[in-house]
Amino acid sequence: MLSPVKIWRNQKKVKSLLNLEGKILSYTKVYVPPAGFEQQAPYVVAIAELVGGIKVIAQLIEWQDKNLKIGQKILTVLRRTKDPGLEGIIPYGIKFKPVD
Amino acid sequence: MEVGILSYGIYIPFYRLKAESIAQIWGKQASDIQNSLGVREKSVAGLDEDSVTLAYEASIRALKNYHLPASSIEAIFVGSESHPYAVNPTSTILGEFLGVGHNYLATDLQFACKAATTAMISVAGLISAKIIKSGLIVGTDCAQAKPHDILEYTAASAAAAVILGKNSADSLAKIIDVASVSSDTPDFWRRDGVRFPSHGGRFTGEPAYFYHVELVSQNIFKKTGLKPRNFKYCVFHMPNGKFPRIVAGRLGFTPAQLAPSLIIDHIGNPYSASSLLGLSKVLDIANKDDLILLVSYGSGAGSDAVVLKVLRRNDHSKKEKFIDIVNRKKYINYVEYLKFGQKI
Amino acid sequence: MNVQVLGGLTSNFGELWDTSPRSLVRETCYQLFKNTSLPKSKIDAVLVANMLSSSLGNQDHLGAFFAEELGLNVPAVKVEAACASGGMAVHLAVLSILSGQYKNVLVVGVEKMTDYKPELVNKALMGAGSEGEREAGATFSSLYALMATKYMAEYKTKEEELAQVAVKNHYHASLSSHAQFKNQITIDAVLKSPMIATPLKILDCSPISDGAAALILSSDNKNSKVSIVASQSGSDSLSLSQRENLTSLKAAVISSRNAYKQAGITPEDIDVAEVHDCFTIAEIIAMEDLGFFKKGEAAKNIFAKKTWLGFGRPVVNTSGGLKAAGHPVGATGVKQVVEIFHQLNQTAGKKQVRNARIGLTHNVGGSGGTCVIHILKRN
Repeated sequence: MLSPVKIWRNQKKVKSLLNLEGKILSYTKVYVPPAGFEQQAPYVVAIAELVGGIKVIAQLIEWQDKNLKIGQKILTVLRRTKDPGLEGIIPYGIKFKPVD
Repeated sequence: MEVGILSYGIYIPFYRLKAESIAQIWGKQASDIQNSLGVREKSVAGLDEDSVTLAYEASIRALKNYHLPASSIEAIFVGSESHPYAVNPTSTILGEFLGVGHNYLATDLQFACKAATTAMISVAGLISAKIIKSGLIVGTDCAQAKPHDILEYTAASAAAAVILGKNSADSLAKIIDVASVSSDTPDFWRRDGVRFPSHGGRFTGEPAYFYHVELVSQNIFKKTGLKPRNFKYCVFHMPNGKFPRIVAGRLGFTPAQLAPSLIIDHIGNPYSASSLLGLSKVLDIANKDDLILLVSYGSGAGSDAVVLKVLRRNDHSKKEKFIDIVNRKKYINYVEYLKFGQKI
Repeated sequence: MNVQVLGGLTSNFGELWDTSPRSLVRETCYQLFKNTSLPKSKIDAVLVANMLSSSLGNQDHLGAFFAEELGLNVPAVKVEAACASGGMAVHLAVLSILSGQYKNVLVVGVEKMTDYKPELVNKALMGAGSEGEREAGATFSSLYALMATKYMAEYKTKEEELAQVAVKNHYHASLSSHAQFKNQITIDAVLKSPMIATPLKILDCSPISDGAAALILSSDNKNSKVSIVASQSGSDSLSLSQRENLTSLKAAVISSRNAYKQAGITPEDIDVAEVHDCFTIAEIIAMEDLGFFKKGEAAKNIFAKKTWLGFGRPVVNTSGGLKAAGHPVGATGVKQVVEIFHQLNQTAGKKQVRNARIGLTHNVGGSGGTCVIHILKRN
């Protein structure tokens, strides 16, 4: 089970990264996931630079092929991230959504 | 009561599943589904979405059109049938991410598809009693249905958020009056710990939906002295494409009064968000002095009625109307739908 | 500085189902004691390099664990710097000898990864990354894939050029004795292999392996032929997203520059090198970080066989690198030094680089958070 205290502490950082625009610096489509992410595969992981120069790594969601490019504009949105199992507290975090 | 709607926001997830994709799997005819349920396609939440994330998306859109900071919100009431926790409030997770601060009243409600309108009545009551100045109510659901069950075609996902406050010149609409009916009618239910809901088949019709919707509507007509022809629009809970059309006709409304609210035709039935989404779609186009009747229905059972008078046209940014958000979509197949149903 | 390499030995790398970490280390070390004719009693300290004993096997306190196995009472401690654990253990061993307090130090790197299924191992390996990376569902492959995507976009590198790195290292491994994969492969085979994280396919990636490597370092230079003339390390951000540049590892640039200075040489002086090719792109980026090729030119030079045994200089990864020899994480950094030792000692057999006098090892932790560089010279 993930630590509820760590999730709680992390939530403040998540809040500060929500609803920010940014640009993709690099991306990759993951076909072989680590344990806990099997059900999501394949998925795209990207590094983006957000307004203010903050650089973050997160999954890219609701993408089309034309969005998979360095420089693609994105917006940070709130999503479930890690698998909490049957009993654990659900961690919410940042993912990137492509914007026109 | 001097309570108004100050702003609203909605969110519909990206993915759609066509009724014909479901019908194909079970060897049914898509045309039969269209005839009996009046549903073409439904919205499906992604694997990483849940009632919290949908509520958040709708709420930030409501806050965007709200002229005060999030910290001015003094109550958050969230209605859903798919709260991620049986114990641990959706409303406070939402409040924390919205940056509302800690000085607010929060609670979650469940009453099948009417939980959000009940939230609306409750918060309106608090504002009316001058206990709080403004509050956020949200209807949000990631509806699940048993494979092969008829509900599979309609059970959808979406969220609608409304910020209520003391009625003022800034209000979009004012609450004129409310009414509510309740009974013990087991037409649709879900036991604790069980994943999919169950229902009584045709029992969900006359003794359930129709009885309560018609009863509360007659009550509100009597209470306010208003008649169907006084209203510009009516919004009814939409469990399928047929029930709202039938009940509107029975109560004396015309198809033109009902048509703008029919979100069921676009995305299916997102449970607690259904009637509020219908209301939002109407508010997108309503004009000053229009009267709106909003009637929800929650299985178990009960119905809330709210009469609203539009005070001004909502001039929110072009891209945030229902028709804009609903057209941002991608079709998935049945297998992907099953995959997305297994929440992370 | 005076740090001699008395001897080095690498175990077989691969899926060693029958072998436990205890027996792996015991067999490798005892054979090394025999090879160097140094009695166990002369060892003054033991440094154990390992990354996953805790997260996979629930075993901490590896110093005592192996002191028990080797029957020693001298100081013994685990060194962990993710995939640079081996190099870091050698670095600390060097410093301990330079301190004057220890004369003969045993460094042993060991990793047992095949006792757990790949999904769990990949999850544990992400202990070398950041929580943000773990939360995004990143794997090591995806982090290097992010570097590859950027590198290829910037320098117009083709996937065939990445594949050639793997082809070269498999060719070298076919001449080696301890490698996990001794088969040669073709560029076509690499391109057709299953995709792991775009653009890296399975044959662009080093495998999951078991193995150990041991070294004895000493300040006693009576009979030794090989010495360490530079031992440097550098750090950078844990998270890939925080790096200044996705196509260069600052930790490698800084530590290698310091190493060349410490040894009083330039990259052109290097005859043979072991470079950290956890993924094909890693070797390409490394060759530029280490100053062997200009930025953006490594891929085409490697493609033109400039670093192949028998074709060019420096000859890179005669051990088969991480790709073909295998990558038992804690053992790799030590094995690299062992390989260069044998090259300079003229005991590299079929993979001997002629007249190898100066060699370099480059060991990286995580996606570049740590880099350790050693330069060895024939006395």
